[in-house]
Amino acid sequence: MDVFANLLLGLSVAVTPLNLAWLFIGVMIGMIVGIIPGFGPAAALAILLPVTFGMEPTGAVIMLAAIYYGSQYGGTITSILLNTPGESSSVASTFDGYPLAQQGRAGPALVMQAVASFVGGTLGVILITVLAAPFTLLTRSFGPPEFFLLVMMGLLTLIVMVGGNWRYGVISALIGFALGTVGVDLETGQSRFTFGSAEMIGGIDFIPIAIGLFGLGELYHAFYTGLHVTGTGGIVQYQKERRFWPELRDYVETRYALLRGSLLGFCIGVIPGAGATVASLMSYTLEKSVSKTPEKFGKGAMAGLVGPEAANNAASSGAMVPLLTLGIPGSASTAVLLAAFVLWGLTPGPLLMAQKPEFAWGLIASMYLGNVALLALNVFAIPLFVQMVKLPYRILAPAVILVCTIGTYSVNGSIIETALMLAAGVFGFFMKLHGFSPAALVLALVLGPLAEQSLRQSLTISRGSLMIFVERPMSLWIIGVAVAVLLAGVALRRRKQLI
Amino acid sequence: MRAGFLLAILFLAGGYSYLAFSELPYLSSAGRLGPGFFPRIIGASLVVLCVYSLYADARAARPGEARSPYWRTAVVVALLTAAFVVLLEVLGGLASMIVFMAAALALLNRGRHLQNALLALLLPVSLYFLFVVWLNAALPRGMIPLPF
Repeated sequence: MDVFANLLLGLSVAVTPLNLAWLFIGVMIGMIVGIIPGFGPAAALAILLPVTFGMEPTGAVIMLAAIYYGSQYGGTITSILLNTPGESSSVASTFDGYPLAQQGRAGPALVMQAVASFVGGTLGVILITVLAAPFTLLTRSFGPPEFFLLVMMGLLTLIVMVGGNWRYGVISALIGFALGTVGVDLETGQSRFTFGSAEMIGGIDFIPIAIGLFGLGELYHAFYTGLHVTGTGGIVQYQKERRFWPELRDYVETRYALLRGSLLGFCIGVIPGAGATVASLMSYTLEKSVSKTPEKFGKGAMAGLVGPEAANNAASSGAMVPLLTLGIPGSASTAVLLAAFVLWGLTPGPLLMAQKPEFAWGLIASMYLGNVALLALNVFAIPLFVQMVKLPYRILAPAVILVCTIGTYSVNGSIIETALMLAAGVFGFFMKLHGFSPAALVLALVLGPLAEQSLRQSLTISRGSLMIFVERPMSLWIIGVAVAVLLAGVALRRRKQLI
Repeated sequence: MRAGFLLAILFLAGGYSYLAFSELPYLSSAGRLGPGFFPRIIGASLVVLCVYSLYADARAARPGEARSPYWRTAVVVALLTAAFVVLLEVLGGLASMIVFMAAALALLNRGRHLQNALLALLLPVSLYFLFVVWLNAALPRGMIPLPF
């Protein structure tokens, strides 16, 4: 009963004309961000964060969240039509999406991916609605050891599941932790690594680093690879097809793949660090293993497209659970969302739902509406988004650099932070070039203060004994989940090499 | 090239560790874990992992990747961005945006003079109004402030 009351409260917040407008703008931007290869939701969220400063907090977070989950929809359009995933979470959709398009079934593939994304996204939001409150109650028993273990689990999962070389992933996370120690030590008041600069006392702001790494770094890398010259390649001409809509057998054959992908994606999304990319690849592996015709996978099997699509959208919903209930982001994108929460004085964690129910439930309710809007956009506005794929990178990139720079400056009016963004951009370029993980760096930068504080508190409570991390039942559960996820990650990495 | 990047990180990690071990106490005056506790762990781990990675990469002896033929463009765009950041406080927000867009489009979108001129003017003006007028955000005014 509480769930329905909360949801009604959320809907009353989400359906105000202004919030609906922000929601629609958010899903549109999310679609566009998803479509542009090499430009991810983390960069878009970081760049647009300063733009939302003049907005009311709930509307701003509704828009930013819509960009995040909207990008999961958009990324697949290019996977199907171009064989180029707009997002890393859409990589699995190229395996069967592009072969379907080549066989003249681009229309049905596009509609089915929209339906799968809608089902996955909506089931994910239903599960958040039902599970958020119990999860919040559970997390109220968490102490410093559990928070420290959760941070470590999130980072390790990110490194093992997504990253290339694990050593480079760990180095990236350690750099993030190191940057997170700059500023005043909260327990003793001593300055650390500030070199006497007043601007550094408050620590290194997360926004210039995120914009630099994900915005400028990605753009420089795109120039390095020649994307401004080569463009995105040839688009499969789906408009000429006579049969745009899927057949009944497409729905019937993929109904269980939809459900499996949605549930698997949500469960993986809830685990900090795993995220939509891992969910989609795991779903593809699962669908192939349970299929009666695994030989069709990779050659245009609709289940191979539908399962991963449902999974990555459900995972993006699932990722909201640790963010809202624990204040622990599981990816770079949700780390930016966390920064947005903090900027508006909202503290995600066990008390958020109790103290700011209109905000938390307004956001959740908006996700239902957002998924409906995205389904409609995906089915009826595909030609519009296809035109955006054709937008030349040589014009788009300078415009994005302009927004990155001005956006960073406008946050605090600081030229030092703008220079920091530029430095982060150059560093991000080299990270991407050499296979390091900008996402691990940003996540560690955001979670570093929490990790340090909870580690010091844990060791103070236990008088220096590390046994505190294995003595408490909740800690043991977290360690158990972490071990299971890491083993799955190792298995997935081996599987990825085989696919 | 990757070894050079790792060496640069190692150099920075060495400096970070030196400061963590030399200037930040391990324990606070109250006898609790102090401000140097966490940075020492991070710094030492970074140094060890960088050294190990250099060793492991050298042992693997992978052939170096060929440099992209477009590397100069990436460098020039990065330099243009740096110049843009420097010009922000000299020319002010609007003028520096126009100069940056004009220069970047002249480099990347060659031969389309009218299109470039329109984009170099309209986009910065739109952004200026978005940030300054609508969002009331602070943009640098430059040495010669605009009258509006």
